[in-house]
Amino acid sequence: MIPDQSTYLADALFGCAKGDRQSLRLIFEREAPRLVAVAERIVRRRDLAEDVVQEAFIRIWTCAHQYAPERGSARGWIYAIVRNRALNMLRDGKREDLVAEDRLETLQETDQLEQIMAAWHRLDRNSRLRDCLGALDETKRQGILLAYVGGYSHGEIAGRLRIPLGTAKSWVRRGLASLRECMA
Amino acid sequence: MTFSKAEIPAIADDYVLGLLDPSDTAAVEVEMERNGALAAAIASARERFLPLDTAIEPADVTPDLWEKITANLPATPAMPARAPQVANNDNGQSGWRAAALTGMVASLLLAAGLAYSLTRTVEPLVIAVLLNEAGEVQAVVEDFGNDTASVRLLNDFAVPADKTIQVWTLPSRDMGPMSLGLLDGSHSAVLYAQTLPEPKDAQLYEITMEQAGGSPTGRPTGPILAKGFAKLPR
Repeated sequence: MIPDQSTYLADALFGCAKGDRQSLRLIFEREAPRLVAVAERIVRRRDLAEDVVQEAFIRIWTCAHQYAPERGSARGWIYAIVRNRALNMLRDGKREDLVAEDRLETLQETDQLEQIMAAWHRLDRNSRLRDCLGALDETKRQGILLAYVGGYSHGEIAGRLRIPLGTAKSWVRRGLASLRECMA
Repeated sequence: MTFSKAEIPAIADDYVLGLLDPSDTAAVEVEMERNGALAAAIASARERFLPLDTAIEPADVTPDLWEKITANLPATPAMPARAPQVANNDNGQSGWRAAALTGMVASLLLAAGLAYSLTRTVEPLVIAVLLNEAGEVQAVVEDFGNDTASVRLLNDFAVPADKTIQVWTLPSRDMGPMSLGLLDGSHSAVLYAQTLPEPKDAQLYEITMEQAGGSPTGRPTGPILAKGFAKLPR
């Protein structure tokens, strides 16, 4: 369990906005190992994940002044930048291109689903999110985790779970609504 | 896309999960700047799912990643306050200008949408829609100042093996055209350029076809593929 360090990270972002590189370094040392891992779950390659994090840190530095505490936690803001850059790389490059060199892709599909579901199991036992995801039907839970953790699109979720696209969309939508209700 | 009160929580979730298509993503990013309820719903959705990221097994980061970041870091970060300045660049060549203005009106919304979809949480200082001589939209440049610009190509350019597309801007007539960087083939890209003055309203941007590795003179030498004048996002 990681202690909440939002205040510490918010201070570091304010430092970045003033041009203090040491503040950026602090964010890097504290968060980069997890940010690389988060990006890698989406783009599926370590080297590309590091490219994502590299770009994201330059974006964090140049845009730190735009962070406002009323818009949520500093950590959420930082992770959103990395997630968005990873998703952009995925959508621009297409997942198939990113993994084209990897002939074991089909064999790894199973591993990947397991890895994505592991994100749920790794949640703290007292976590509300863990309980609320657990209360969902398996398919809804899988759809939501494939999207958030793996960066899957509706179409990819449908393909992976072998259900029609419309069904995938409506299950994810209903799953998300249940989750909001459960966590409210 | 509509942002009715009842729909906002679902839209925020879809946005945070990356499930929206690019045009809806762009619409959300425009709307969240002025719609407090949407911004709050997005913040709340981020916090709701964040534990899935923070509970991850940390990766072993390549030792030189930090050095790579600092090598590309602008000296000072962007500052929030910016006053539009009078452009003093060369806006000659009336044919180009007429075409640019005609096309720009029609493409401004498109540009804003695309620009936002490229960068999501980030605000560009200026956006330039680049048009060819026929007035057709070819590319959109978002300049963030502090030496970062993204270039979205909206047309497939045939780039021979010994050529490359180079992106330019004209910060002032005194400086002359300055390179923002090279594109990889005919692909959109985010460019981290040398230190340039903060981009201004009506600043000229253009893309040219240069020899591989970029113009040997540091000035555009090849044919102009598209050009346009920057506008400030409203």
